[in-house]
Amino acid sequence: MTVAVGDRIPPFEVAEVSAEKMKTIAALLGDPNPIHWDLDAVAALGMGDRPINQGPLNMGYVINMLAAWAGGRDRVRRFRVRFRGNVLGGDHLIASGVVIDVRTEDGVRLAECEVSLDVVDGAQVLSGTATVQLPEEAS
Amino acid sequence: MSEPATGAGPGSLEHARTQIGRAFPGGEYTIEPYQAWLFADAVLADPADPQPHPVFAWWASVSAKGVSWDEFFAWFGAGAEDGPMFGEHETTLYAPLRTNVAYAVTGEVTSVDRKQGRKAGAFDIVGYRFELHERDSGVHVASCWNSIVFPRRNA
Repeated sequence: MTVAVGDRIPPFEVAEVSAEKMKTIAALLGDPNPIHWDLDAVAALGMGDRPINQGPLNMGYVINMLAAWAGGRDRVRRFRVRFRGNVLGGDHLIASGVVIDVRTEDGVRLAECEVSLDVVDGAQVLSGTATVQLPEEAS
Repeated sequence: MSEPATGAGPGSLEHARTQIGRAFPGGEYTIEPYQAWLFADAVLADPADPQPHPVFAWWASVSAKGVSWDEFFAWFGAGAEDGPMFGEHETTLYAPLRTNVAYAVTGEVTSVDRKQGRKAGAFDIVGYRFELHERDSGVHVASCWNSIVFPRRNA
């Protein structure tokens, strides 16, 4: 796998954020915040008429992109993200990234990447950086 | 309940800074295989991959921190009604996560900084860090750093 600064990571697309997946995560992670599953609560808080996606899911889409590119979840060494906005049920998302540095540490090739998650035709909702272990280059 | 954010009492910068270095009680967290499957499915990853999703490092740390969010907010003289917001998160993984392994979670408050926003007014940014070790082997698996923002409308 040949990687160079400026390479774009194949994006990860979420065609439509699922309200049902939010319910799964709320139950699985014990998240009591009703903005993820109760539309009446969302409306009462003045947050519109669609549920708010959990932050771990938003971060997870970006990690999916990195793992698919590098060849496995265990290749994601570090990620740092800033939550910039809400993702709503039904949103169409694109996770994207670009390589900003390639180096070798202790014999391991690492790529430093800038990453983001954007609502298609909307706002950027997450940005950050990540360090990914690269597969060995073919000799 | 929000406390006055001036002077040296709860909610003040002086009081908040006394929390730097305060340790979380901590605890343990084990990723069950069904949890790894369901999370992967929900995040649109491959649920058949036995490797837990890296997001579990974060979730394990906050789940086993040993205090509720309300108790943590109270360390800084704040409450949920003040509208605290998650700011940034960083996970560094030193070893792959595994299911059916007990992780020991420790952590502490690392920083408190007060900022003044043009629209938001005064707010405190609190940094806190967790470490995950395999309970039985002691292997250091991950570090998770977070920041949370407390609005200080009375400052």
